[in-house]
Amino acid sequence: MIGLDVDHPAFLFLLLLALLPLATSPLHGTPLPAVSLAPRDGFSIAVSLGIRLAGALAFAALVLGLAGLNLKAREVERIGSGANLMLLIDRSVSMDNTFADRAPGAGEESKSAAAKRLLTEFLGRRPRDRIGIAAFSTSPIPVLPLTDHHEAVAAAVAAIDRPGLALTDVGRGLALALDSFDASAASGGSRAVLLVSDGAAVIDPRVQAALRDSLKRSPVRLYWLFLRTVGSPGIFDKPRVPGEDTPQAMPERHLNLFLASLGVPYRAFEAGSPQAVADAIAEIDRQESQPIPYLERIPRRDLARLCYTVAAAACALLLAARLAERGLGARRSAGSDLTGINTRRAA
Amino acid sequence: MGRPDARTLVLAAAFLLALAAIVAPQLQRPTDAYRLLAVVDITGSMNVRDYSFEGRPASRLDTVKRTLSGLAARLPCGSRMGLGIFTERRTYLLFEPVEVCADFAPLEGAIGALNWRMAWEGDSYIYSGLYSAIDLAGPLDADLIFLTDGQEAPPLSASGAPAFSGEPGKVRGLVVGVGGVEPAPIPKFDRDGREIGFYAMTDVPQENRHGLPPTGSEQREGWHPRNAPWGADEAAGQEHLSAVRTDHLKDLAEATGLTYAPLADAGTLAAEVEASARPHPVAGTMDTAPLPGALALLLLAGLYLAQLWDRRPLFLRNRRISAS
Repeated sequence: MIGLDVDHPAFLFLLLLALLPLATSPLHGTPLPAVSLAPRDGFSIAVSLGIRLAGALAFAALVLGLAGLNLKAREVERIGSGANLMLLIDRSVSMDNTFADRAPGAGEESKSAAAKRLLTEFLGRRPRDRIGIAAFSTSPIPVLPLTDHHEAVAAAVAAIDRPGLALTDVGRGLALALDSFDASAASGGSRAVLLVSDGAAVIDPRVQAALRDSLKRSPVRLYWLFLRTVGSPGIFDKPRVPGEDTPQAMPERHLNLFLASLGVPYRAFEAGSPQAVADAIAEIDRQESQPIPYLERIPRRDLARLCYTVAAAACALLLAARLAERGLGARRSAGSDLTGINTRRAA
Repeated sequence: MGRPDARTLVLAAAFLLALAAIVAPQLQRPTDAYRLLAVVDITGSMNVRDYSFEGRPASRLDTVKRTLSGLAARLPCGSRMGLGIFTERRTYLLFEPVEVCADFAPLEGAIGALNWRMAWEGDSYIYSGLYSAIDLAGPLDADLIFLTDGQEAPPLSASGAPAFSGEPGKVRGLVVGVGGVEPAPIPKFDRDGREIGFYAMTDVPQENRHGLPPTGSEQREGWHPRNAPWGADEAAGQEHLSAVRTDHLKDLAEATGLTYAPLADAGTLAAEVEASARPHPVAGTMDTAPLPGALALLLLAGLYLAQLWDRRPLFLRNRRISAS
């Protein structure tokens, strides 16, 4: 569908001026007492209509040009390869430390700064994805809804190296991420949640039930990018003593077990250094490339210049007609067709 | 062939002007745009329903969200707006400023998703949130719109808010006072987010009893310099009700070099932003085509109208003649 639009709709009432040429003409004309003096002549009628039309066209084109006629920016749906991806980012205080669990010194990178740098690279490689961002700390914080405006996504990713908040409530964060897939995400493309965190916490049994329920209804792929701090418990650690194997003592291990038990495709990456994080993101990059409909924006096209061109052409026609006009007194071209026309016009 | 008559000249002029409109240059003209960071207070007192929308009570937070969306729609293209939330002592940056025209959809979506449940703590140290918002806005080269009702919870101690340590006026912008002037009850929610009534006087601290007691406290009932410097009675007050704390916000705005403005409709807020924020020139173009275009239209209309006047019906002529 072609979407025509004007910048200043108020000017459109001037289109009434285009009725003027129906009532009168720009030619000099010669008053005659009776029309019947001139013979009926098809060519004359055509030229007379032409002059009126040219006048109306000149007015209409000028008014439309002034009003700023344009073809609206459009969005065309195309099929690319990508995913609906929710980034769920841990914003607890520990993310502000380095992988060695220190406050970052000169030349050192905090975990959140590393995550920011890598996610920014990751986004650059995936231009077709629809991406949403949610953060979690003590409470889940929706940051950006799923969107294909990658500049906004980049602005949100750029904000994640600011100082973090408080604790880590990963369960409610996951619930928020799952809820963020709207109806449009159902139309195509795979749906994935990328959890970026440097720790885990016990998930409330009620939240666990809600997560299972939600994933049954609409499955998504899960990725957990675990930014492991040196010396901290890992995802794949085995309990050293039997009594230690509880979610409270080993939250990372048990979150991994819980996510693996959800019955949806799930992969965990344990990354102890920025290089390992890059490898994990490359792996996700390989896996999430199904067909996804995306919108390509076609910018608006100004038609004002075209309007002025039409107006100039119409004015040229009127000018030509005026220059060709010969009154009844002009004997030089008496008997020519043009005289006949102008006599009719004059009437 | 004699001198061309007026009609020919006018038509020729209209033609030339239309030609001129085709080739008229696009002038480079920088336009003013703004770079803003909007920070929304999402503490409990923002749930007070003392606004109305379409005849129904609306909470302060919903009103702020609606106004911010409207403001984003009104800012000139090329302006950028970031979003942050404030609760407890800090401002938390959701995203850095994004372009308000190209990225309007995600910006509006993010504003719409603001919710009091995003708060990570229940306290509301307004001054601290404002100072940290200014610290956030500075490196972003953005001006601030800080939307809050100004209700400190717990109340400020007798010595008042700590002084602002930054450079006043480096970050400019607005402190927007949200809420009605009549104290209104604050809704109370349970842990699942269901509303369970309103805060009562005994639910919230009515007086900050840290630091030094206020002057005149020795007049209070049961005062004792060591054992009861604030007097022996439970503090009573209006802290469980909420009204916009205009004086407190004006003081904060003055100390930090911002401008205070009460929350109004988006148009008024946009005007306040333009008055207080630093304009950032962005490349804009001004098309010169409308000038010759309008002149051509004027000439053409004049020509046809003059013609119409010349050919006016007989009764109009008669009247003119008889009148003269």
